[in-house]
Amino acid sequence: MRSAREAGAMRDAYVVGAGQTDFGSFPDESYRSLFATAVDRALASAGGLGREDVDEAVVGTLGVGGRQLGLSGPAVTEFAGLSVPTTRVENACAASGYAVRNAVQAVKSGMADVVLAGGYEVMTDASGDTTKYWLGVSGETEWERLTGATFAGTYAQMARAYLDEHGAATVDDFSRVAVKNHANGSENPHAQLRFECSLDDASDAATVADPLTLYHCCPTTDGAAAVLVVSEEVAADHPDTDAARVAGVGAASDRVGLFERDTYTAIPASERAAESAYEMADTSPEDVDFAEVHDCFAIAELLAYEDLGFCERGEAPELLREGVTDRDGRLPVNVSGGLKAKGHPIGATGAGQIVELWKQLTGHAGDRQLDDPEVGLAHNVGGSGGAAVVTILEEGGAGQEVSGK
Amino acid sequence: MRVSGVGAYAPRFRLPAESVEAALGQFRARGIDRVAVPDADEDALTMAAEAGERALDAAGLEAVEVDVLHLASTTLPCEEEAGTGRLRSLLGLGEDTESAQFGGSTDAGGAALAAALERDDPTLVVASDAVRGADDEALGHAAGAGAAALVLDRDGPGRVAGRGSQTTTYPGSRFRERGSAETTGLGVTSYDRQAFRETLAGAVDELDWERVDAAALQAPDGDLPYRVADALGLDTETVAAGCVVRNVGDAGAASALLGLADALRDGAEEVLLATYGSGAASHAFRLVCESDVPVRATLNGDRELSFAGARRRRGDFDLGTPEGGGAYVSVPSYRRTLAARHRLVAGRCRACGALRFPPEGACGDCGATDGYEDAPLRERGTVETVTTISQGGAPPEFAPQQARTGEYASAIVAFTARDGGGEVSVPVQVVLADEDAPAIGDEVVAVPRVLYDQEGVRRYGAKVLPADSRRRR
Repeated sequence: MRSAREAGAMRDAYVVGAGQTDFGSFPDESYRSLFATAVDRALASAGGLGREDVDEAVVGTLGVGGRQLGLSGPAVTEFAGLSVPTTRVENACAASGYAVRNAVQAVKSGMADVVLAGGYEVMTDASGDTTKYWLGVSGETEWERLTGATFAGTYAQMARAYLDEHGAATVDDFSRVAVKNHANGSENPHAQLRFECSLDDASDAATVADPLTLYHCCPTTDGAAAVLVVSEEVAADHPDTDAARVAGVGAASDRVGLFERDTYTAIPASERAAESAYEMADTSPEDVDFAEVHDCFAIAELLAYEDLGFCERGEAPELLREGVTDRDGRLPVNVSGGLKAKGHPIGATGAGQIVELWKQLTGHAGDRQLDDPEVGLAHNVGGSGGAAVVTILEEGGAGQEVSGK
Repeated sequence: MRVSGVGAYAPRFRLPAESVEAALGQFRARGIDRVAVPDADEDALTMAAEAGERALDAAGLEAVEVDVLHLASTTLPCEEEAGTGRLRSLLGLGEDTESAQFGGSTDAGGAALAAALERDDPTLVVASDAVRGADDEALGHAAGAGAAALVLDRDGPGRVAGRGSQTTTYPGSRFRERGSAETTGLGVTSYDRQAFRETLAGAVDELDWERVDAAALQAPDGDLPYRVADALGLDTETVAAGCVVRNVGDAGAASALLGLADALRDGAEEVLLATYGSGAASHAFRLVCESDVPVRATLNGDRELSFAGARRRRGDFDLGTPEGGGAYVSVPSYRRTLAARHRLVAGRCRACGALRFPPEGACGDCGATDGYEDAPLRERGTVETVTTISQGGAPPEFAPQQARTGEYASAIVAFTARDGGGEVSVPVQVVLADEDAPAIGDEVVAVPRVLYDQEGVRRYGAKVLPADSRRRR
């Protein structure tokens, strides 16, 4: 197998356009109309590239609700006016993070020059009971779920183990994730939950699965996101595009059931995905200027800090307490609001993170724009850690000097 | 055949007579102070497994050594389908076990025992019932639950010194029509008493006996066994010594056998056992203990329920399982895993010897795909991590259970292998009865329970109880 470093030496891939729908609940939209909107916005941002330039599409969706479980990919791309070979990726909540990775592989291998990677999900149009059937489908079905565990329950088991292992950590540290991400989401016009919350709001909210409260859990969401991944030649041929270089991408999988893993206080797939992404990008956690991490439940953001190497084991609470990952901190995390406040339309989440990275790196992030970031990292997890993908983007188009490098 | 061990089980929950009276304005079951109420995930089969496991343990017999299984019940979850098939698996009896099922009336317990006495090989007799009647009838007020089991072999200490039986014809005193969940009766008091007295006394009359320490008589309520005592020449203390109905309620096919277990546990050496079922039929036995017959019985109630709490556990207030979609485990794929689900059988990797649960797929330690040797786990384990699933948060399959019992916990528990050491993590549900969920590091004990119903097919599996919440007796 080619090493991550060797893969990095293949021709470069760039993100030159990205768009997403608002995330929220949209009874008037379908999974196809949402996806078409995301495609329109991605193309409109891509400096002259059009539908006719797209060679391939890779789309991620879990298929919540059961709508068009088979051939879901062509069902959305044809609707959106893209009659190109389409591959649908299913890796639960990491579906479109993997779709982006597949697009990068296609471009770097030379098999395609312009690939649209995206994702979509509609989660709010079914009854509460039906939705509950679908929420746990990415947990381990035959054993974990048959203990009566929900997805929140599995992450709550991680949270309980984390509190037990790291005596200094408290439930308030989970709440700090909610406070930060709600504050960030309130600045993002695409976010689902655009309101702030206090530490007490979060800690005192109704318990969902002890020790996690309602504010420690992301919402169910409708939405779609799409990004255009192109070769360095295409990027160079379209000087009007705002390009961000795909510096590294890493992925890993693991046992689907939490009980099958050696640790409950880390997500080993995240660690391994991050290692190969850093290696391919020839960079390290210290070089990351900002990150979008998979905070489906508050504990997941703490684990992400540690799995991604932003701090040592057990030190995630300190990062939150000291404001390191606040929007004005040294390493802003989930400036978009994250899954917690921006929303978590399962199949669209990974691509949505890349949209945020691209916007921040190319100066399109509006009111929440960070001060000239150069390196952004996206971290997307499937289930409770059965799949993970980490993508590192760098500022700068093809042939341009990346400042500071 | 002789009795070598006895097991008994009644659910921990009790509904007191005064709570029924407070709710309904009446409690018409005579001689009953409280009735046992199965938890929402208990039924006649899980109770049968609890009693059967205790009987095997008391007799010191391995499950695989049992050659014959007799199951008696009037309230198995399915009217058609061999309940012995499920019970065999829950208990770990071999597939070459010969089994027979007895039902039709509450005399089934005696019929199952009588048939077992004709066998030549180690036989497990289990009687289990969760009786249910209308809330405005005495029978509904008396309805209790419990299970009793006897191990019979050639050299147990309990000698069956005699037996008798009687079949009379008394329609209408107690019956349940096909498809109905509730047993009822015409309520012709004198007629019912006559049927009971004539039939049961007729069976006992066939026995040759002078005195007994206890008389374990069928007890649909706490009145009928005492009414027949005179006809049998028994004093009330002797009847009371073999009667648990006051604290358990009407346990149907298990009723008299529960009385037997209780009497033996209290040291009775000679016991008269008589079962009765409406219609009417009766079986009577005289048991002489040549030395102590080992008994393992868990009959005490340690949790009191309100009337609403009891009916809620029975499922009177919820709408059942919501319509589906999403995660689904087919019956064939569920069946493939029964040894692991019912009896916590893990696997030992043929390549590296590590334990794996469930025992399938590549080894988690060495990655080999050489397969596994069966490695049964101990019933006690240690909590590795745990959460409590709040009310309303259960997956749909578990929504009815949560509506009926309240919050439960979901845990990952480390169990050790019975042989050869090693430890493996198993995801399990923790059954809570108003106590807090166990903490990391706490001990829990595996119990057989209903997981959920889907497509009309009940799924059973191991859950755990906090070890410090487990009843002693």
